[in-house]
Amino acid sequence: MKTYIIRRLLLIVPTLFGITVIVFLISRIAPGGPTNLSLGGSGQVDAKWTADVADSRRMLYGLDKPIHVQYADWLGHVLRLDFGYSIKHHRPVIELIKERLPVTLILNLMAFIIIYSVSLPAGVLMAVQHGRLFDRAGSLILMMLWSLPVMWVGQMLIGYFTGPAFKDWFPPAGLSSSYADQLPFFAWLVDSLWHLALPVLCLSYGGFAYLANQVRSGMLDNLRMDYVRTARAKGLPERVVILRHVFRNSIIPLITITSTLLPAMFAGSVIVERIFSIPGMGLLAFEAVSNRDYNVIMAVATIAGVLNSIGLLLADIAYAIADPRISFEVTV
Amino acid sequence: MKRLVEQGSDWGISFGDMVWRRFVKSPLNVVCLVFIAILLLVAVLAPVLANDKPYVIRIAGRLRFPLFAGLQRGDYCVFLAGFVGLWQLIQLGRNSRRLEPFVRGDVLWRQLSINSVIILFGCMLVFVFIRPSLDGTDYKALVASGEAGNAIFTPVPYDYRQTDIQSRQQPPSREHWLGTDDVGADVLSRLIHGSRISLSVGFVAVGISTIIGVVVGAFLGYFGGKVDFIGMRLVEMVMAIPMFFLIITMLAFFPRNLFGIMVIIGVTSWTGNARLVRAEFLKLRRQDFVQAALSLGLPLRNILFRHILPNGITPVLVNATFSISGAIFIEAALSFLGFGAGPATPSWGQMLSLGVSTTGRFLWWLTLFPGLAIFLTVLAYNVLGQGLRDALDPRLEKRV
Repeated sequence: MKTYIIRRLLLIVPTLFGITVIVFLISRIAPGGPTNLSLGGSGQVDAKWTADVADSRRMLYGLDKPIHVQYADWLGHVLRLDFGYSIKHHRPVIELIKERLPVTLILNLMAFIIIYSVSLPAGVLMAVQHGRLFDRAGSLILMMLWSLPVMWVGQMLIGYFTGPAFKDWFPPAGLSSSYADQLPFFAWLVDSLWHLALPVLCLSYGGFAYLANQVRSGMLDNLRMDYVRTARAKGLPERVVILRHVFRNSIIPLITITSTLLPAMFAGSVIVERIFSIPGMGLLAFEAVSNRDYNVIMAVATIAGVLNSIGLLLADIAYAIADPRISFEVTV
Repeated sequence: MKRLVEQGSDWGISFGDMVWRRFVKSPLNVVCLVFIAILLLVAVLAPVLANDKPYVIRIAGRLRFPLFAGLQRGDYCVFLAGFVGLWQLIQLGRNSRRLEPFVRGDVLWRQLSINSVIILFGCMLVFVFIRPSLDGTDYKALVASGEAGNAIFTPVPYDYRQTDIQSRQQPPSREHWLGTDDVGADVLSRLIHGSRISLSVGFVAVGISTIIGVVVGAFLGYFGGKVDFIGMRLVEMVMAIPMFFLIITMLAFFPRNLFGIMVIIGVTSWTGNARLVRAEFLKLRRQDFVQAALSLGLPLRNILFRHILPNGITPVLVNATFSISGAIFIEAALSFLGFGAGPATPSWGQMLSLGVSTTGRFLWWLTLFPGLAIFLTVLAYNVLGQGLRDALDPRLEKRV
């Protein structure tokens, strides 16, 4: 297992390298660029003069160098966490990200905790009740939750629970009230949670539906195993059979589901942060794409890729530790 | 053999029949299948259902058919493609009833190529013979002023581009069943025309991702070894970038249009397919029939795609059904965020984004109806995928 973990850690290097290559290539293959941004086809300009200007501009931005040299330059800056300046905010991109990243991480962490803590018992209960009303209705509800588009849910919640349309229960936007600084700690906490309630709900229901369904089917697969019959034949109480034997065996594969949940949650944060005007990475990405703030977009994509692959790495290692049966020999 | 005959009704029927029987056992599956069929019909017939021109109108004593005269070339092409697609489905259904492999590669490819040639040729004919029509007559005004006699209008007598500043942001009424949007266009008409976009995004994006995924997965799985190892690391690299961020990164750099969005969704979401196909090919490549095909000296292309692929296609089919709902969702999300094809295109996501007006007013009909359309379509495809997976899963049969 130690070799597996070391190998997995080594593999992250080419993965991160690949992510940066992909992001860099997208930005370079794209039509247009700094040279023809200001030299449109309009007007009669001396051809030689135009070419000179374009050349000097290419030199200025380092675009006259071969593409691998350009990439190496860019990567060198990225490794030093220097993503350049934001065109819109007139500040270094890394400063923006330092401000925004914690917000998104907290939001997703809360959603993540809720997803796992609600869907585990729900899935187990449904599997135990297999075939009965609770299970059937539950499956249908999970399927519906899974299919609910998050932008619809978010907008409906804003429309009906934050304004004059129906109930004025929650604040419509932002992370805290404007007077939050003057509040004592406990009141501040309540205020924050009050603001976060709807966004976290939006971020977590889809993952909950997906995970609960996986828990359910994993439990059902294990309930059919011989060892369950053995456990029951030994005369163990049903509670012990379910919780000690079946449940423990069926949660191991759930670790890998993180790899499906994480990217979905990244996508969810763009939409949710946009709807609820929460100043996180998602909103930063949204604004950057809207304003074609290239440096920010490249930084956000790179960082999201890095965070995601770190998440996958942790999940894989946790899996290797949790399941001794799996040797992870490379099948050649 | 005898035991099998006694035991079950499943002996002597084709695999396709078996899957179909298991599939229709659940009424929910049937409901969703019917829903998608209706949606497809609505999408194909959109200009006949929602149009500002009447089917028939009597002007100065003469009968005229402005709607049919006003159909554009694209509409005819969609009709043709819809008809041929239906025919293809019927053929597929008939083939799968034979006692043969579930999907016969050679038969399927032949039919697909014949049908695509028919569609291409038909579209060429349409472009040669159908003139673009520029009929800007306001037939409703003609009827109202009494110049024209009786007329039969479509159920939704509004064009999806027809703006009317006088009646903007109107809640549902008798004139506009589902209200109007921020420029006064009829919401129902835009929903009907928007179904074309959602469904085509689903099919085109998933088509692209399936083709890329199947080809990559087939090569990795068949060759195995170093090719597989390096290839899988590449696949993992692409997977490591959250797809949504990859897509919006591309949208930031490339010009935005509907086809571009379909292609971008397609080229970023093939990794799941590649992994599924690779796993199947790893299993199947050592089988006797592959050895037989090899010893016959068949070209690699035939071995991969005519012999192995039909035997390992079912996980891809299930995944494709789920991916369609995923692609529809992503397109709606992108349009909602304003990264879509622009307000002229009646995308459901774009309509949903109008639900909160620029002044912050909540317009419930612009939120409820487009959102419901996205939800029901995504739900139907997900239920379909689940039903298909259960029907194809031989493990479940044993339990029953």
